[in-house]
Amino acid sequence: MKKLTALTALTLAVLSGLAHADRLEDIKKSGVLRVASFDSNPPFGFIDAKSKQIEGLDVDYAKAIADKLGVKLQLQPTNPANRVPLLVANKVDLVLANFTITPERAEQVNFSIPYFSSGQQFIVKKGTLKSQDDLNKWRVGVDKGTVNEGVLREKFPGAKVVAYDDTPFAFTALRNGNVQAITQDGPKLIGLLANVPDKDKYEVPPFTISNDLIGVGLPKGEAALTEVVNQTLVELESKGQAQKIYDTWFGPDTKTPLTRLYKIGDKS
Amino acid sequence: MDFSVIRDNLDYFLIGAYPDGPLGGAALTLVLSVLSGIAAAVLGLVLGIALSTLKGWPRGILIAVLGFLRAIPVLMLIFWSYFLLPILFHVDIPALFTVVCALSLIGGAYLAYSVHAGIQSLPDGQWAAARALGMRPVQVMRLIILPQALPIMLPSFLNQWISLIKDTSLAYVIGVGELSFVATQVSNRVMVHPTEIFLFVALVYFVFCSSLDLLANFATGRQQVKQR
Repeated sequence: MKKLTALTALTLAVLSGLAHADRLEDIKKSGVLRVASFDSNPPFGFIDAKSKQIEGLDVDYAKAIADKLGVKLQLQPTNPANRVPLLVANKVDLVLANFTITPERAEQVNFSIPYFSSGQQFIVKKGTLKSQDDLNKWRVGVDKGTVNEGVLREKFPGAKVVAYDDTPFAFTALRNGNVQAITQDGPKLIGLLANVPDKDKYEVPPFTISNDLIGVGLPKGEAALTEVVNQTLVELESKGQAQKIYDTWFGPDTKTPLTRLYKIGDKS
Repeated sequence: MDFSVIRDNLDYFLIGAYPDGPLGGAALTLVLSVLSGIAAAVLGLVLGIALSTLKGWPRGILIAVLGFLRAIPVLMLIFWSYFLLPILFHVDIPALFTVVCALSLIGGAYLAYSVHAGIQSLPDGQWAAARALGMRPVQVMRLIILPQALPIMLPSFLNQWISLIKDTSLAYVIGVGELSFVATQVSNRVMVHPTEIFLFVALVYFVFCSSLDLLANFATGRQQVKQR
């Protein structure tokens, strides 16, 4: 799958130059904003047990953007490896799925200004990680198609990297002892652990190996749409709505209390 | 083991978010299976007859196309047609349609050879006798050959349909919410019950596949009684 995705992304990137551009007009005409979000990564995007719909922090931002445009929101589930192909093949208008802004991705898609920031961290079984160097000898699980994979290989060249489809898969591998640690963005790992009944057996060691900015992914070259999304994000921050969305998922009363370190518009 | 996770999410496993969202879960698996099963059977029958009757270069082209379809993995066909066709030809193919097409094309290609083999299994004398009675080729096929060949082909058709039911799970790659896809979603939310959830999923596939098997046996059983 990884090869397949990389190859597709490449082919699509080459061919996409042929596609026409003004997506903002198309969205307004059709009255529907198509957004890809995660369906397995609380609290960013997950299937809510009661409503059976995708909900989460990313979804709240997507709703705000759809409201700003005055159109209906249509969500499509995605996974880390699918995000770029969905955008390039014109299957969705936006990707809000914990999408880290990188120069490599920016060659194939547009990015908005960041709306979230996180550092890459690890989950290990409690007490097993004595020093960071241990990671160089361990088997470490990552999500394929993520930035985390590259950072891990660069920072811990000795680690045996095992790539999984999604973070919950990787965590199952950790639970079963196939790997000794898994790595992902800290808030995502904390969100995951919050739903695990025996979370006392695990820990997120207090160090980060990168600092990632999360943005909205848009089709390449769609300047007008990118501008609207940026404006919306800035407005959400100035009106206090961004803080409210954050508090819904990471506020002190939630399962995953986390201090807000990054505000939209901050320089990293 | 704690099977309450199955009870709590049963309707999501069976019908997805329907009626508040698109049909999903086991119901969608069933719809995908029935549609692509029928399409694959029709396609297999037509292509198989063509394979037995065509000659020269048209037959060569047909063999090349069938060879191609049998050689590529279903997963690849689904993935590529979903993501590549919109860019090459500016046609937007809905996800469900992509899956049904991919499954029926590949299933049809396999079945074409089963149909071909069934037709070939009849002795040449059947053709000769029918022609001697003054029947046209279409009549020979319809009245003499197929009624004898189809029962021979049935086990092959059944094999293909069963493998097709299970292949619908490959639709996950483009985000189609069939049974295994929604099961993964629930499993990823509750985190600690993958065993129970996927045992249940296996049970549902087992029920689907063995009902088809029973149905086919029942149908052929009656057929044989009638012939005696």
